[in-house]
Amino acid sequence: MKLLPFLKDKCLLLFLQLVCMGILSLFLYLTGYGKTGISLILIFWLLILLAHFSITFIQRRRYFSEIQSLMEHLDQRYLLGELLPPSFRLEDHLYGEMIHASNKAVIERIRRLEREQKEYREYIESWIHEVKAPITGIALLAENGRKGQDSGKLRAAMGEICLENQRIENYVDMALYYARSEHVYKDFLIQETSLQEVGEEVLKKNRLLLIGNGVRAKVDCPDPVYTDRKWIVFILNQMVLNSVKYCGGQPLFSIYTQKKRDGVILVMEDNGSGIRPEELSRIFEKGFTGSNGRRQERSTGMGLYLCRRLCEKLGIGLRAESEAGKGTRMLLEFPISTYIARG
Amino acid sequence: MRDCKILIVEDEALIRRELKTLLENAMYQVEAFTHFTDLPGRIAACRPDLVLLDVNLPEGNGFDVCLKLRQQSQVPVIFLTSRTDSMDELNGMLKGGDDYITKPYQAPILLARIAAVLKRTGDFREASVYEHKGVQLDISRCCILRQGKCQELTKNEMKLLHRLFKSPGEYVSRMELIEYLWENQIFIDDNTLSVHVARIREKLRALGVEEFVETKRGIGYRI
Repeated sequence: MKLLPFLKDKCLLLFLQLVCMGILSLFLYLTGYGKTGISLILIFWLLILLAHFSITFIQRRRYFSEIQSLMEHLDQRYLLGELLPPSFRLEDHLYGEMIHASNKAVIERIRRLEREQKEYREYIESWIHEVKAPITGIALLAENGRKGQDSGKLRAAMGEICLENQRIENYVDMALYYARSEHVYKDFLIQETSLQEVGEEVLKKNRLLLIGNGVRAKVDCPDPVYTDRKWIVFILNQMVLNSVKYCGGQPLFSIYTQKKRDGVILVMEDNGSGIRPEELSRIFEKGFTGSNGRRQERSTGMGLYLCRRLCEKLGIGLRAESEAGKGTRMLLEFPISTYIARG
Repeated sequence: MRDCKILIVEDEALIRRELKTLLENAMYQVEAFTHFTDLPGRIAACRPDLVLLDVNLPEGNGFDVCLKLRQQSQVPVIFLTSRTDSMDELNGMLKGGDDYITKPYQAPILLARIAAVLKRTGDFREASVYEHKGVQLDISRCCILRQGKCQELTKNEMKLLHRLFKSPGEYVSRMELIEYLWENQIFIDDNTLSVHVARIREKLRALGVEEFVETKRGIGYRI
């Protein structure tokens, strides 16, 4: 609270006092009072007025700076109404009550939204688990059909169904991980994870798509890390799918680890079309498709965004390096937790 | 080596049927339950070598079935489930499961995990020496032999020949071969396959065999 605005606020009162002083002086003068007496009275009046304003100003300033600091230290500011400092002033009291009531309405609304969101999330999760049964059914059916005795044309069609079914599976997984990324702690199982196995699993899982695109791949990940295995599988899967989308002729994928003093880096490298430097910093943004993605008209801009979110929750660093036309490197940095290292 | 009996406990009819086909094609003996009362007792009575147990069953969940089953049998159990919570995974292990596979599972991954569990728990090892037209493929020593002469193979060549030796006399398409190699951690493309086949032929020639691996254009290879 500053002095000048305070005085401006009090200008009516000040004006009233000055008018009163004038009227009193006039009255005293007309009744034959001496000039010194009048001056003395006015000086006393002014002193009292000054004292009153000073005390009020200091009190008010203390009151509001207390509220100010409360605001700064509260992480949920809508709880201010509960914590207002006591004041004997009627106005403070009335405002306090109003803020309290208004906050209460906000809190109720937030609670309701939270509940609705939770219900929706739970529904999505259970829906995803339900839809996985038919996806499994189709996958097995198509797999058996593909290996079966039917005509070549039918077998090829079954292969296509397998591929499309896998795309559905991936979209469903994306929805699941999106729904869960907010509440990771419920879904963590940190264990020693072999990145070699993870890399091989992801490549095997997508073998139809990758072979169909003529991809060669290498996996060389001798360094184990402590993390949640299925989340890493999901993240690496998004990266591999991304690389397939933008691969050129004779695609070669390498998945390898580099051991550093303070952690292990998992690298997913391709020799595809690469990312333009001006777009590199934005590829992990939600809904960003870039010039590559728009050209292919298949990108939703969700895959890498989800990767970033999950990496944040898992405490993994995520970076991309790229040279347009030469390829892209996605780097996952697993820090060595001092906690685990000591144990 | 003997035939392995796998028991499927899965309430979705389509998945049950296709799973059965898949496993039968993979040369397992398969049995499947179609109703789900008194499971622990019936599973034990069936004496399978491995149980594929769905977690969500119409009468109670698979974890409890497994826990009760453990009181009377040590048969290996692989849980199948569409739930992917970590707690579920942990539960599966605590209740005495040997492995845990989430739907939608990929056929080769499922088969590999079944084979891994069987290998760990029983005496079901695959043959380690194959023979066809006088040429022997020794898996454990990673070489081909003929009349006492031996040629060493790289891992990739060995896997490639392994696939061909598994179905002698039949054409195996290039796509099928590449897929088989991918399933076995060898991630190569079409050109590399041709290179490997050429090298294998060279090694066979060194053993004095010509035309052992036949090519049929547009179809594939056979031995």
